[in-house]
Amino acid sequence: MSGGTRMAKGPLDYLGRWPLRLWLGGVLLFLYVPLATLIAFSFNLSKRNIVWRGSTFDWYAKVFADSDLLLAFANSLTIAALSTGISLILGTLTALLLWRFRFPGKALLEGTLALPIVVPEICLGIAFLVFFADILPWPTELPWPLNLGAITIAHVSFSFSFVALVVRARLASFDRSLEDAARDLGAGEWRIFADIIVPHLRPGLIAGALLAFTLSLDDFVITFFTSGPDTTTFPIKVYSMVRFSVTPEVNAASTLLIVVTLALTAAALKLQGSAIAKTAAAG
Amino acid sequence: MTAGVTAGTAARGPFALVAAPPLLWLLAFFLVPLAVIWGYSFGHNTSLVSIDVTGTWANYARALQPLYLGIIVKSFWFAALTTLACLILGFPVAVAITFASDRLKPWLLLAIMLPFWTNLLIRTYALMAVLRTEGYLNWLLAAFWNPLAHLAGGPAFVPLGLLHTDFAVVFGLVYVQLPFMVLPLYAALDRLDRSLLEASLDLGAGQLTTFARVVVPLALPGIVSGIVVTLIPSLGAYLTPDLLGGTSSLMIANVIERQFKSANDWPFGAALSFLLMYLTFAAILAQAMLARRHERRHAHG
Amino acid sequence: MPEPTRRGVLAGGVGLGLAACSTTRPLAVNGEEPRLNLYTWDTYTPPATLAAFERATGIKVKVSLYGNNDELFAKLRSGNPGFDVVVPSNEFVTRMRVSHMLEPLDHASIPNITNLLPAFRDAPFDPGRRYSLPYTWLVLGIGFRKSAVDGVPDSWKWLFDSDRYAGRIGLFAEADDLIRLGAKYLGHSVNHVTPAVTAQVEAMLIRQKPFVKVFHHDEGQDLLVSREIDLVVEYNGDIAQVMAEDPDLDFVVPREGTLLNSDSLCIPVGAPRRGNAHRFIDFMLDAHVGANVAAAIRYPTPNAAALALMPADYRDNHAIFPPADRMANSEYGDYEGMAHAQMVDEAVTRIFVA
Repeated sequence: MSGGTRMAKGPLDYLGRWPLRLWLGGVLLFLYVPLATLIAFSFNLSKRNIVWRGSTFDWYAKVFADSDLLLAFANSLTIAALSTGISLILGTLTALLLWRFRFPGKALLEGTLALPIVVPEICLGIAFLVFFADILPWPTELPWPLNLGAITIAHVSFSFSFVALVVRARLASFDRSLEDAARDLGAGEWRIFADIIVPHLRPGLIAGALLAFTLSLDDFVITFFTSGPDTTTFPIKVYSMVRFSVTPEVNAASTLLIVVTLALTAAALKLQGSAIAKTAAAG
Repeated sequence: MTAGVTAGTAARGPFALVAAPPLLWLLAFFLVPLAVIWGYSFGHNTSLVSIDVTGTWANYARALQPLYLGIIVKSFWFAALTTLACLILGFPVAVAITFASDRLKPWLLLAIMLPFWTNLLIRTYALMAVLRTEGYLNWLLAAFWNPLAHLAGGPAFVPLGLLHTDFAVVFGLVYVQLPFMVLPLYAALDRLDRSLLEASLDLGAGQLTTFARVVVPLALPGIVSGIVVTLIPSLGAYLTPDLLGGTSSLMIANVIERQFKSANDWPFGAALSFLLMYLTFAAILAQAMLARRHERRHAHG
Repeated sequence: MPEPTRRGVLAGGVGLGLAACSTTRPLAVNGEEPRLNLYTWDTYTPPATLAAFERATGIKVKVSLYGNNDELFAKLRSGNPGFDVVVPSNEFVTRMRVSHMLEPLDHASIPNITNLLPAFRDAPFDPGRRYSLPYTWLVLGIGFRKSAVDGVPDSWKWLFDSDRYAGRIGLFAEADDLIRLGAKYLGHSVNHVTPAVTAQVEAMLIRQKPFVKVFHHDEGQDLLVSREIDLVVEYNGDIAQVMAEDPDLDFVVPREGTLLNSDSLCIPVGAPRRGNAHRFIDFMLDAHVGANVAAAIRYPTPNAAALALMPADYRDNHAIFPPADRMANSEYGDYEGMAHAQMVDEAVTRIFVA
């Protein structure tokens, strides 16, 4: 399937059809026009984000000079990465648990897992505030990145249910006969998991990881209540600017975040592509 | 396709391994903090900073007043509209991504996710810039309308008052929630057995029939999880209605937020939160029971 | 040179690591670590001021931000996660004071206290200024677009009780402020608003709602600049800032009077570095520092010595310093207990739902 042979337009080549292309284009336009505005305003001469007053690169210079903002950035990315990793593991385990095993209290567990999705964020934020103040005091003045522990724990707690949900939907379509066949051939549980189930899960895992990353990166409410003086994240810095108006410096920082994410993803895809090509060449 | 092994068989070891981490985490780092707040909902403020848990139902009684129930109903309505719009917008997008080439697929996924790695507050400000009276949408519409009106001798374009309305709130919510609908849909559609589609088309069913009777039922788990993941967070939205809403766009999450912050009434805020959760659970339970009854009927029929 | 063994490298690494983590950090003059955790409003302390503080005392300031008093209070309610100085508004100074969340200030180590205007040496919300010292003061008033209104709208009537500017009005979403200002318009004090008067204000605002475009959350000045609305209830400092950018905007304190506000520097209980905190407060009350801050944020300053150093366009700015007769009619809002807060919140919820 790799290589450049162009297939003829089959009945399933949906993306080749213009209605779908138009729809996809329309949705992408809807998503990106506000984003384009945001990027455009990062060059605005005015201190406010409302009226265009001329262009400048000053805000970008300010971002790089603002060590507080860069630290908040770094914190946000670190927390998101850690939270995504742990959520992925816990969420996948949960999905497997519910799919594979029957045990007493299963319905109760399913209901409990719906809680993180249903709880209003502020309620959960206050819950963690009280938890980390009274029940499990998180020591302050820890070195980075351990001081991000409280925030990371809170993020994992509300996002792994989302991951479990997505992975479960994916598991529902798994063909058990494959598993039975593998077991007949003598494979142990771990082999079955690693070689058959995980590859099938891949789209679900990717979707779950993206979801968890997004939830963590932009979280404000829960992070606000679990953060301390040394653990500011990017959303917290931005939301606190509401009273005096969000300056274009924030737009500049967001634009940079977008650029960095694009670059990292492109690099990851490149690596993945060359790895696939290498195995194809070797095999 | 029901689940297989019971925990009592030889799979005991793997079961413990798989069950322990998530269960322990759920208990220690989610249920315990939440239980504290649940306790608060049965308490009252003894001072600005302390709460006495007395087992009183007064907070729930207050939460069940028509004033607050009305707000909850309105919030459900907003969330339902948002979910419907996301479903309609998102399903074709998920289909497009599923059937895209392997090279294009990750880029399309990234394209859908990328706006959502931008801070919500700034995105909302950007939406305001698009929707407001002197914003881009009105500017675009005027650019089309005015030359034509000039030629026809008709009236000049009156800018649409889109911002600070219920419409703007739903628009904003759809903008925020769309990837949460697309991702689960994609994850479910991706596994679709293409041969089934081809078989259906070979047998003479048109594209639309194939879609309705083959694709949708197979993608149902993804649709359901997409709906859950979109509907419920929409209920909890407070920033979007705050900034984009008009004078009557109050949603329940705004009220709850005010209880925990400006009203400093944590017991009442807790009661409202849990009331919302109970109602949501009831809705999910009702839907699950209906689905089971539907399944049973079709199995027999 | 022998190949470094793994154990050797490990030992060296651990040694270096321990040395780095050791607690022999340099101590400031008062025996505390030369750090300060400041929890304040965004852009309230110019970075240049913080840099000057570090040059003068060797203490490095780390700034964390909150968006409003409620967030500050909710965050600190369950304990202080390590902040040394916080900046609550007047009513919250009272709330934190009665909840024993503030440390008493040692006036002896804050000599610059003499720089304050006499009016601010004492305060109804903190008798004797035992727990707080003023940083700025502010008033709520009407920001408006001159070309869109007739004359100067110097009464709350145009926002609360009239359809003259229907669809062009922005009100503050802050529950307390709405009720207090409504009461002020109806001729009562902002304090001790009875349930009867609250009901009157509620009815009036429900009648007025069809003419109100938006209830804003302190971004009122942005809505004014972007021409979404033409009249807005906002703080004088916020409007003064946008007036500098858009000469068509102006500010007025209505003749019925208004709410006074003052943001104060306080030390929360549990602050790890009280000595540094006192030095910081003293530094902020210095004349030149106060002048720099006022020039940067364009809020009224309570510091007489700083005021004397300011240029005329600041001192004579009627948005920053409203005329004395309007100020005479203005009051601070008191904290009036939880039952009152609950009543006000429910009244405002009914307004928002109507």
